[in-house]
Amino acid sequence: MKPTEIEVKASAAALECGPDVLPPDLEDPSVVLSVLEADQVVAAKQRTHFGRRNLSLGMRVMLWGLRFYVLVMLVLVIVSAIRALHPAP
Amino acid sequence: MKRRQDAPENSATALPLGPAHPTTDVAAASPLARDLARLLTHEDVDRARDRWAVSRARRAEGHSKLGGRLSLVWLLVGPGVLVFLGENDAPSMLSYSATGARFGIGFFIPFVVLTFAMGLVVQEMTVRLGAVTHRGHAELIFDRFGRFWGLFAMGDLVLGNFLTLVTEFIGIRAGLGFFGIRPIVAVGAGLAVVFAAITTGRYWTWERITMGLAVFNGLFVPAALLARPHWGSVAYSLLTWTPLPHGRIFDILLLILADIGATVTPWMIFFQQSAVVDKGMQPLDIGAGRFDTLLGALLATVFAIAAIVATSPLFHHGIDASQFQAAQFAEALEPWIGHVGAALFALGIFEAGMVAAIAISTSSAYAFGEVLGTGHSLNRPLREAWPFYSTLLGSALTAGALVLVPHAPLVFIVLIVNVIAVLAMPPALAFLLLLVNDREVMGEHVNSFWENTAAITVTVLLICAGIGFGLATVFRTS
Repeated sequence: MKPTEIEVKASAAALECGPDVLPPDLEDPSVVLSVLEADQVVAAKQRTHFGRRNLSLGMRVMLWGLRFYVLVMLVLVIVSAIRALHPAP
Repeated sequence: MKRRQDAPENSATALPLGPAHPTTDVAAASPLARDLARLLTHEDVDRARDRWAVSRARRAEGHSKLGGRLSLVWLLVGPGVLVFLGENDAPSMLSYSATGARFGIGFFIPFVVLTFAMGLVVQEMTVRLGAVTHRGHAELIFDRFGRFWGLFAMGDLVLGNFLTLVTEFIGIRAGLGFFGIRPIVAVGAGLAVVFAAITTGRYWTWERITMGLAVFNGLFVPAALLARPHWGSVAYSLLTWTPLPHGRIFDILLLILADIGATVTPWMIFFQQSAVVDKGMQPLDIGAGRFDTLLGALLATVFAIAAIVATSPLFHHGIDASQFQAAQFAEALEPWIGHVGAALFALGIFEAGMVAAIAISTSSAYAFGEVLGTGHSLNRPLREAWPFYSTLLGSALTAGALVLVPHAPLVFIVLIVNVIAVLAMPPALAFLLLLVNDREVMGEHVNSFWENTAAITVTVLLICAGIGFGLATVFRTS
């Protein structure tokens, strides 16, 4: 398959990345696309998502367990801190 | 150079909606290259500029290996150094100072090395996640686990970050207070620095400014030298983990658990991954990212040990520093390390609060932007990404203002912030491990057996420390 015009320009731009070469014209989209990966481009990232993962029962139990632990401990710690700052007479 | 007129973001809807998958294909080779070329933004151009510099340095390696490699290192270090030197924040440096004042040179010096090694294991995973997926941590959690779990993760982050930000401004106020600077001026100066760092509209420039500030975390090193410690004792403690701390076992255990649990905080995971993405790092850069993270951990370890050593004279002279706040350490040390040493110590506390304030407010802004789908890059100018910058500045402004409010519950916040960070780590680590072992997300860069062994060991230790610390705090104060 013949390379597209953008691929040809991008290859040329990539070859020019030598140590003594001046910075390329980044107004040229082909140059920008030659150094970024496909999903680094903002427009591409906005339109692609990894999708929901299926969580096994074990994973759900673990996540819920950790969440329950955090909430309970948070309440206990806040109550304890308040008591420490305002001890009963 | 003519400023690019960005295509309206909603024109991205012209592209088909599809699944993301780990890829190293150059955008120019994508089937959507022609469409992407029309939809490039200012953020893409700035990121491409940074990537071009990295490509140039890689090619320069062929001509001058050392020069090219140094250039590459210079270009790619940043997120790792910032996250670890940011973690040496005001409360952490005060915690190390309190450790040195209470226990002197001994067990806690090699212990600090161990805690940073644990942090290194965790943070390395964020480098791989960011470089492979090009997505921030909040965004990935929402994508893979859904809105419900994403909101919980965000809740932990927002609460922890805000409270930690308050303690950073307490440190800024206290550090500059040593020099007689009024609180309102100190807080204002801190906010001005946060604002100045973001006005460049370039991630690269923001990163270099913040790294320049972070280097001053090393002020604790000359303070330690001025303390004239017995360096043989420091080396002996590193090798033998002795002398062991004396005192109430419960208090020592509490301090150990607090130090373990506070080694890695949720904001570090969110920040480094988002910074890696904003920096435009790619899978080819993972090695450099690991070096960057290792360098950050090493520097932070040295500076943390320096803080312990700097305050060891207080231990040797039997000074009770258990109730000391930031400026009091500097004042108490003056007879032994001199006014210059005390001033360096106070400046170090200010710097610790300053860099952490920048990094933590940025991590909050990244997370909100990723979740809301708005522009969330330091490569965007203020007017283009005003929700992102508003979150960043708003969180810093609110935290700074709270520090100036008379009778604000600052002591309460200082008491609970460390505990909250410890409590919030287990769920954050669980998500991190699930993501980094997700082959659909990571492709060939999933954790290896040994990486999982190290990561799970650290995670279990941190979870146990978190549970132990929380329970100990509750039963101690009940």
